[in-house]
Amino acid sequence: MNMKEFIAKPAKPAPSSAVGPVAWMRENLFSSILNTACTVVFVAFLVSIIPALFDWFFWSANFAGATQAACVGDGACWVFTKAWFQQLMYGSYTDGELWRVNICVISLFAVIYAATKLPKDYRNKIAIPLFLVLPFIWIIILNGKLLGLEHVSTDYWGGFALNVLMAAASIIVAFPLSFLWALGRRSEMPFARTVCVILIEFFRGVPVLALFFMGSVMLPLFFPEGTNVDKLIRVWIVLILFMSGYMAEVFRGGFQAIPQGQYEAADSIGLSYWQKNLLIILPQNIKISMPNILATFIMLFKNTTFLLIIGIFEILSTTQAALTNSNWLGGHSTEGYVFVALLFWICCFSMSMISNSIERKLETSHRN
Amino acid sequence: MTINNQATKQKIEKGENIIVIEDMNKWYGNFHVLKDINLTVKKGERIVVCGPSGSGKSTMIRCINRLEVFQQGSLIVNGVPMIDDVKNIESIRREVGMVFQHFNLFPHLTILENLTLGPIWVQKKPKEEAEATAMKYLERVKIPDQALKFPGQLSGGQQQRVAIARSLCMAPEIMLFDEPTSALDPEMIKEVLDVMIELADEEGMTMICVTHEMGFAKTVADRVIFMDGGEIVEENTPHEFFDKPETDRLQLFLSQII
Ligand SMILES: Nc1ncnc2c1ncn2[C@@H]1O[C@H](COP(=O)(O)OP(=O)(O)OP(=O)(O)O)[C@@H](O)[C@H]1O
Ligand SMILES: [Mg+2]
Repeated sequence: MNMKEFIAKPAKPAPSSAVGPVAWMRENLFSSILNTACTVVFVAFLVSIIPALFDWFFWSANFAGATQAACVGDGACWVFTKAWFQQLMYGSYTDGELWRVNICVISLFAVIYAATKLPKDYRNKIAIPLFLVLPFIWIIILNGKLLGLEHVSTDYWGGFALNVLMAAASIIVAFPLSFLWALGRRSEMPFARTVCVILIEFFRGVPVLALFFMGSVMLPLFFPEGTNVDKLIRVWIVLILFMSGYMAEVFRGGFQAIPQGQYEAADSIGLSYWQKNLLIILPQNIKISMPNILATFIMLFKNTTFLLIIGIFEILSTTQAALTNSNWLGGHSTEGYVFVALLFWICCFSMSMISNSIERKLETSHRN
Repeated sequence: MTINNQATKQKIEKGENIIVIEDMNKWYGNFHVLKDINLTVKKGERIVVCGPSGSGKSTMIRCINRLEVFQQGSLIVNGVPMIDDVKNIESIRREVGMVFQHFNLFPHLTILENLTLGPIWVQKKPKEEAEATAMKYLERVKIPDQALKFPGQLSGGQQQRVAIARSLCMAPEIMLFDEPTSALDPEMIKEVLDVMIELADEEGMTMICVTHEMGFAKTVADRVIFMDGGEIVEENTPHEFFDKPETDRLQLFLSQII
């Protein structure tokens, strides 16, 4: 018998309508009349706005020059942001001492990076303790007195660096504090529980602006008479408390997500209350809560612009000062605010990217 | 394999009481979970507890290391009365190891760290010593090569053996097991039971084990206890327990599980 030899043929490519950009568009953009209408309107909108936007941003924009005289044409005048760049970033911090601010910002990222890359032992013994004392190191460096550097009073601290450092310094202290509040809220001791519930609900329930005003007016009442606590420190305390209220609730969610068996296993080994919560519960809780902590931090970071209202020279108030400067009067506010918005957007967007990647990692690694 | 030989039996009979439960009562709200429990366990004795679901088996053994509190009666573990005092609770928990149905390993720690956590933080042993002990017990449960993995990377049977080793590292006088094999696939049950039998055999550990593995009960137990509706209904040697059940309730139960 003559059997035909079997010859394998490569599979034919899918018909052109099932794959490729055309199919994708048909499926996602033109699947129904409503969908098609939305697509058309949206594309028309983009077509009408993008060229103008690019024109304003780049083609007709002024980049060269140093004074307002360089601003010609109807595009953006980036000369404005260039001329004010140092002010926007560092506020009025003393000219030759800007490296101190840079060191603070770099140290923040360096420690965070180290904490994610170092082996567990070094992370727990070096990176995390260092992280927790960073805000105090920053104060010493920026102030300079203790180190024998030129003393720079907090009146001169400012700019975007202040937004970044203020937000970071607040969340760093809020971390342990909010964990304690969340623990207290679950505690079986009625006193601790009541105090923590009141604190959490108060700082979550009152608008942050109201808290800032209270901080400037009321906080001094709590300090011993005669002491004059720096305005920036008072604002820092307010931000810490505000952030702690939110984070305590984030941690509370984390506590509920940890299986009861973890607590029981820790108890049955004989760990004490604090050992159990710090060694077993806290690490698991942070892992679960990380995306929400970052979301809360983004909110806090943006809220640092409210400091403008109580006269602290963070980036937004610096921008306003620049806009009312007599050499730059007359309509640079768009550039100014767009620049600020972009800065914040870049930072917040990177943080949510990080948060997404953490979330994805958790989905695969947090089994059991 | 049978380890109910004459020598161990006599040793147990002469031995001291390590757990004494008297008239223990417990309620969940209005629900009476434990009714007048009386139980005395001698040092080195191996007890299997069985009974229908919801009969209070877990609740009873969880009272022994105070994962649950009871409202009436008394409990003395290794000479220490169980009272509200933190000192007493801590010293009792140090003497009592517990193995759970769902293993409850710490997922963020490696196997080795799971094992050394208690010795280092509770017993204040140096790290090297704790790790040496941990490796010894990992060898005993036959998975020394998994020491640096995380719990999530192990099979159920391996995780349960790690959980047993974790308790053993604390060198407890008493081991409590709450259905240690009922969350496992059939092919993994044996590897865990083998470890438990060895433990009973070689260490002479006092064990209380809630299980429905009747083969295990027959091989290892000195006494089998039947609970129903929050009461200890019957207790006997395995031989009498299975062959001549006295109460109707036990007869019914045995007819259902065998
Ligand atoms: N936290 C609780 N609150 C209220 N009732 C509870 C609680 N825990 C257990 N119970 C009830 O107590 C009874 C005894 O529970 P227990 O877990 O001790 O039973 P068990 O004998 O171990 O059952 P199983 O074989 O299913 O594990 C059950 O009816 C259960 O519904
Ligand atoms: Mg049970």
